[in-house]
Amino acid sequence: MPSAASALHMRGISKVFPGVKALSGVELAVRFGTVHAIVGENGAGKSTLMKILSGAYAPTTGTIEVAGTDVRMKRPADAQRLGIRMVHQELNLVPDLTVAENIFLGRMPKRLGFFDRGGMLRRAAAVLAELGTSIDPQERLGDLTISQQQLVEIAKAYAADPRIIVLDEPTSSLSEHETAALFRILRKMRDAGIAIIYISHRLKEVLEIADEVTVLRDGAMIETRAASGITAAEMIRLMVGREVSNVFPKTPSVIGKQVLSVRGIGDGARFADVSFDVRAGEILGLTGLVGAGRTEVARAIFGLAPLTTGTIEIDGAPVTIRSPAAAARAGIAYVPEDRKGDGIVPAMTVRENISLPVLRRLANRFGRVRRGVERDLAQTYVQKFSIVPPDGERRIGLLSGGNQQKAVISRWLATDPKVLILDEPTRGVDVGAKAEIHGIIGQLVANGMAVVMISSELPEIMGVCDRVVVMRDGRASAPIAREGLTEERIMALATGEDSAEGEAA
Amino acid sequence: MTDVAAMGQTTKDGARFNQGNRLVGLLSRAGLLLAILAVILYGSISNPVFFTAGNFVNVLTSMSIVGIVVVGMTFVLVVGGMADLSVPATIACGAILCLALQAYIGPVPAFAVAVLLAGVTGLVNGVLVGYVGINPIIATLGMGTIVLGIVQAAVGGVIVYGADPSSADFVKSRIFGVPMIAIIFIAIAIIGNFVLSRTFWGRWTIATGGNYSAAEASAVPVRAVRAGAFVITAFAAGISGGLLGLTLQSARPLVGQGYEFSAITAVVVGGVSIMGGFGSIPRAMAGLVFVQLLTNVMVLQGVRTPIQGFVLGLLIAGAVALDIALRKRGVA
Repeated sequence: MPSAASALHMRGISKVFPGVKALSGVELAVRFGTVHAIVGENGAGKSTLMKILSGAYAPTTGTIEVAGTDVRMKRPADAQRLGIRMVHQELNLVPDLTVAENIFLGRMPKRLGFFDRGGMLRRAAAVLAELGTSIDPQERLGDLTISQQQLVEIAKAYAADPRIIVLDEPTSSLSEHETAALFRILRKMRDAGIAIIYISHRLKEVLEIADEVTVLRDGAMIETRAASGITAAEMIRLMVGREVSNVFPKTPSVIGKQVLSVRGIGDGARFADVSFDVRAGEILGLTGLVGAGRTEVARAIFGLAPLTTGTIEIDGAPVTIRSPAAAARAGIAYVPEDRKGDGIVPAMTVRENISLPVLRRLANRFGRVRRGVERDLAQTYVQKFSIVPPDGERRIGLLSGGNQQKAVISRWLATDPKVLILDEPTRGVDVGAKAEIHGIIGQLVANGMAVVMISSELPEIMGVCDRVVVMRDGRASAPIAREGLTEERIMALATGEDSAEGEAA
Repeated sequence: MTDVAAMGQTTKDGARFNQGNRLVGLLSRAGLLLAILAVILYGSISNPVFFTAGNFVNVLTSMSIVGIVVVGMTFVLVVGGMADLSVPATIACGAILCLALQAYIGPVPAFAVAVLLAGVTGLVNGVLVGYVGINPIIATLGMGTIVLGIVQAAVGGVIVYGADPSSADFVKSRIFGVPMIAIIFIAIAIIGNFVLSRTFWGRWTIATGGNYSAAEASAVPVRAVRAGAFVITAFAAGISGGLLGLTLQSARPLVGQGYEFSAITAVVVGGVSIMGGFGSIPRAMAGLVFVQLLTNVMVLQGVRTPIQGFVLGLLIAGAVALDIALRKRGVA
């Protein structure tokens, strides 16, 4: 059995940073021709382990064997020479170059010492075809959708003729449809004998694609098992060290009067004629494929981007929103999708991050921020949402993703909003924090807030929302009530494989 | 397993987590103070003039003019506005108008008008950078050239002399031996520090420099905050120029030349990040004191001017390299 050959064996890997032990004695064995998933909560050590594998970090102790030979990697180039390729969550591509140029970036084919453009195009086309995609190698990368770019990134790794490919959360920006396509490609690569290391928070996908699963927790390896011998519930238990009973609890709440009403809004480019209402105590889901215009709608409602048509009403009165400050005054709050990019100010403390939108209210008449009041405000939320560590003076950049997200949500609750728009609030956060965030949302609607939640994750949308609006190509469907929700129905609306009659709610 | 449990605990109370960083953090804070002490020590040993009241008053006086600009420039760097290169023009504007208008409207209104007009330059800078979105280096360089041109045309490219000697006496007067100009500088530094570290505007400035998108999405009026840093700098440079004019009792259009780089050097050597989002007035002041004392020692020791420039250049490069290194380690 050729698949028994060892592709990678990491033994006793520890990594100590000044003051923190990120990994201790981790074992990882991956065989050629298999998909090996690594799961664990944020902070469990997955990223550190992968950075060691890619040569970005040197382990403090431990040995690494690639294809049966002891290796020592001092820099990423060493790992690449050994045939180890990474596909990062954040794409490392150049938008202004063509697909083919991106695939061969840094190792352009040459003939007689000159750059061989024809050869590059041929080889890029061959790789793309082999992966079963229909992307044109001459197209400018920036003109592709995010999911197509993701495939180009994978093609880039594949074209380097790797022995081991590491994928870090490859499906986080993909719809379920595109995920299925990605899995077909991964299976092809696996069958070609490549060892695939697959890191994901999405356990359902892990069970679908992986042959083996390794669970990390708190920097230690907990267990490696065949994927056929483990369930999602067991994985969660191993990851968090406890049983999480209901992943998507739905707290019933009393639905009241209409709070936010959006009528026929458009920005003249990416979405048009979008209408929906949200009522007090209700969670309205906004879903669809990536690029369907969900985030653009949310940003426009919040004043981060201009609207060209349509009206927005709060409590039945029309409002004009030209800036986030105006949105905040109108009672609209927005928790952005890109937590690192648009959410936190990493060098500031948790306290300073929470107080940002209400700072002016906290200041006295000389403009001086009243520290005591500010500290109490931050501490209230730190305790209420059990932000870890429970210290408002900690720099927020040092917290885990889930705790950062709780702080960003707190920031907006301090403004006492009527409507809270959450854009992918649980992307990239671990299982435990996810349940906590859902709990917080549940509390908020129970107290009468109106919530709009954008999510690509269908189980989340179906588990949490009262009604769901599906977007496709900048257009919104009529809302579907909770009772009528099925994954098939949402996917049909999102992909347009459904006829128009099906959209009546 | 015990290992892991122990790790979780130390991470929670933060003690172990901070230890490594604390040392580097301490170094980044106290390093400059140690350097200042070293310069004072070296100066005192190597030159009999250095450690005298007379010399210190001289250093303090020359420090004050650039120091007032440093207060403004700190806001520009912290907000992520890179640098304000229109400073020589706004200083010239302050100095020339302050003297030229004296004969017509009296010294105090002349000073006020000079500072106000310098502030208008800052407002244009601010609108170009904050609202139109032009690169700050280009915008302020362009504005500086335009304003300097206008000022030169207005005075016919000649030297302007003061008409009221009593105003010069005021600037040169001393309170308990401290020159008035230094007192004004220290007062401005204290106000600047209050605004940056204690008020909502200062917090907005730091947030905007730290993460523009996040600040914007947190209802911070990011455009106004960015513009504000340039307005503050222009007012500071206007005041600085006015005081310079009063001290010299004469002003030429190129009177402010070089002050922009002196100010940027002080701010950067003080450890204020050129990438924005981090820094304080006390840090910038420490940088200023260090650079000024070092220059003073070099002058007293007869170090040739090109070599002085070489040393200051090394300092900037070193400070920026340290900033990047600290940022990577997550200290700064």
